[in-house]
Amino acid sequence: MAGVAGGGGGGGSNDFQWCFSQVKGAIDEDVAEADIISTVEFNYSGDLLATGDKGGRVVIFQREQESKSRPHSRGEYNVYSTFQSHEPEFDYLKSLEIEEKINKIRWLPQQNAAHFLLSTNDKTIKLWKISERDKRAEGYNLKDEDGRLRDPFRITALRVPILKPMDLMVEASPRRIFANAHTYHINSISVNSDHETYLSADDLRINLWHLEITDRSFNIVDIKPANMEELTEVITAAEFHPHHCNVFVYSSSKGTIRLCDMRSSALCDRHSKFFEEPEDPSSRSFFSEIISSISDVKFSHSGRYMMTRDYLSVKVWDLNMENRPVETYQVHEYLRSKLCSLYENDCIFDKFECCWNGSDSAIMTGSYNNFFRMFDRSTRRDVTLEASRESSKPRAVLKPRKVCTGGKRKKDEISVDSLDFNKKILHTAWHPMENIIAVAATNNLYIFQDKIN
Amino acid sequence: MEFKLEAHRIVSISLGKIYSARGQRGGLKLHKNLLVSLVLRSARQVYLSEPGCPPEPPPAACGPPEDEPPPCTTAWAAGEAPPPQDEAGRGGPRLPGADCEGPRPRRCCCGCSCCCAAAGGEANRADCAAAAEAAAPPPPHCPRKRSAGERGQAGSPVKKPRREVEEEPPPGEQEDMETGNVASLISIFGSSFSGLLSKEPKGRRRAPLDGGEATVATTPTDAAAEPGQICCDEPVLRTLNPWSTAIVAF
Repeated sequence: MAGVAGGGGGGGSNDFQWCFSQVKGAIDEDVAEADIISTVEFNYSGDLLATGDKGGRVVIFQREQESKSRPHSRGEYNVYSTFQSHEPEFDYLKSLEIEEKINKIRWLPQQNAAHFLLSTNDKTIKLWKISERDKRAEGYNLKDEDGRLRDPFRITALRVPILKPMDLMVEASPRRIFANAHTYHINSISVNSDHETYLSADDLRINLWHLEITDRSFNIVDIKPANMEELTEVITAAEFHPHHCNVFVYSSSKGTIRLCDMRSSALCDRHSKFFEEPEDPSSRSFFSEIISSISDVKFSHSGRYMMTRDYLSVKVWDLNMENRPVETYQVHEYLRSKLCSLYENDCIFDKFECCWNGSDSAIMTGSYNNFFRMFDRSTRRDVTLEASRESSKPRAVLKPRKVCTGGKRKKDEISVDSLDFNKKILHTAWHPMENIIAVAATNNLYIFQDKIN
Repeated sequence: MEFKLEAHRIVSISLGKIYSARGQRGGLKLHKNLLVSLVLRSARQVYLSEPGCPPEPPPAACGPPEDEPPPCTTAWAAGEAPPPQDEAGRGGPRLPGADCEGPRPRRCCCGCSCCCAAAGGEANRADCAAAAEAAAPPPPHCPRKRSAGERGQAGSPVKKPRREVEEEPPPGEQEDMETGNVASLISIFGSSFSGLLSKEPKGRRRAPLDGGEATVATTPTDAAAEPGQICCDEPVLRTLNPWSTAIVAF
């Protein structure tokens, strides 16, 4: 599998050996709820990696420039900026607290020296500008070095202020706040390829925004029934096509995906394409509906495919074929017989995300026990890896893990009943061009790289 | 038969989830509650369609047999006038397949999901009230339902809760394992969620009346109303209080 963009599709995720690179976050067994990572996202170049947590904070890591003097610290990610994006709010009208948890972060393509990202909680989206300051002006005429205004009558000579270097300061400032447009909980935001608009989706509606305009948004999808008693499905995720600025998709709790074209009508309640795989009647259970609910949808970088994640599997769809996916990968099929327990302990409602690698030849998604899975699309091979402190020696190669589904448990295998369902990997991200992955395990962020070099 | 037991267990768990979701930070999650209500509907349908009944459980399991209509109506009495009691003493229409609610009142724990949910309306409450009247041992599910509902009553026998309810009318305490309340709650969920959402007692009472028309076929869609409406239309807290007696059972 090529790690560099444009390198073709040779090789697979298993041809590489994934090595531990870094882990960020507290080692404490006692995890503060606010520290739980709720979203992870690389920017377009991969140099910046943003995480959001339940406490409403955003932490951005920047990749260090590779230096010849320290070849082994190849591109480490270090903290670049930390800021409080959202605070808890209270909706007095409905007597409801609005959580500050960051649901999604999406970067904007870089257009100047500053970086911009969108972060959202359940109700409000914010555009943040992250800029560097490494110079400061000295020698003002009207004020002292400590900022006090000078008496103008005392000034007898003029001087030109000089820019002097200072310690790098990274500032994050909210440039736009897009509020009051969602009655339900926002689950997705997606920046359009036109770099001017973006969409935000909640359970029943999708709104289209212009990045410059905060007091208005267009509602482009509304699936709220006139009578709420007739509600049967909700929107679970939405994304713009990476190249066609008029196309977006949204997934539903019924396991369907609708592709909409904004050119056809202003309100895209009627889809242009409808993707659904017929249900297998033999696997019907009380929980069939829950496990078919799609938790994430992602277009491939090429724009030709899209991937959906439901509770037990990942599916790759060809946009030209609506009646079934072209590929289906089982993430943890051994959980199918445990659905009742997983319903009881709420794990069945976990929303796993999925991601593509830069060349679309591999996909990755998380599971339980801090396991995450990678599937190579060309060789059809898959691997299960674990994000744990035990295998966190620098450049230690990750050993593939295996879950024993029945019969005699081999050495090094772990049985289904021993899986820790509190250790779930819901959020993962793949560097847009290289084989570097970021895996969020509760309050820790693991970064793994391939062994090459 | 296992399906029936499992279905009942799933119903209990689902109701517990819906109840505990009300106190959740960030407001009701529409998606999760919709899924829970779908599971609830499936489980209830299985339960209703399964023929036969679980075997008679031991008498001590669920409380004294001398229940009267008050248990059934206590839930209602908390915030509104109780429904007409005239039918309470009489046996109401029996539903096909719901053969477990006859001489076994505690069957109402789960059995009411048959009679209450399917027929809807006041007849249901009359049913469960009537059934609750007759002396009979409780179903074996009661303890399980309690633990599923996480009411923290670990070891206390059901007898005690029932007596508490009878002696202390609304609002019932956590110990309240009132089958009548359970029956009411199941009937509410079974017939229509609109009653659950309305702020007014009148609205709540309307639910069973509306539910008179609601057959099993329509209840699935009704079931979906609750999460959405609670999420956006009604302040959750305002609707919660009067139902505490019923919901507390879970």
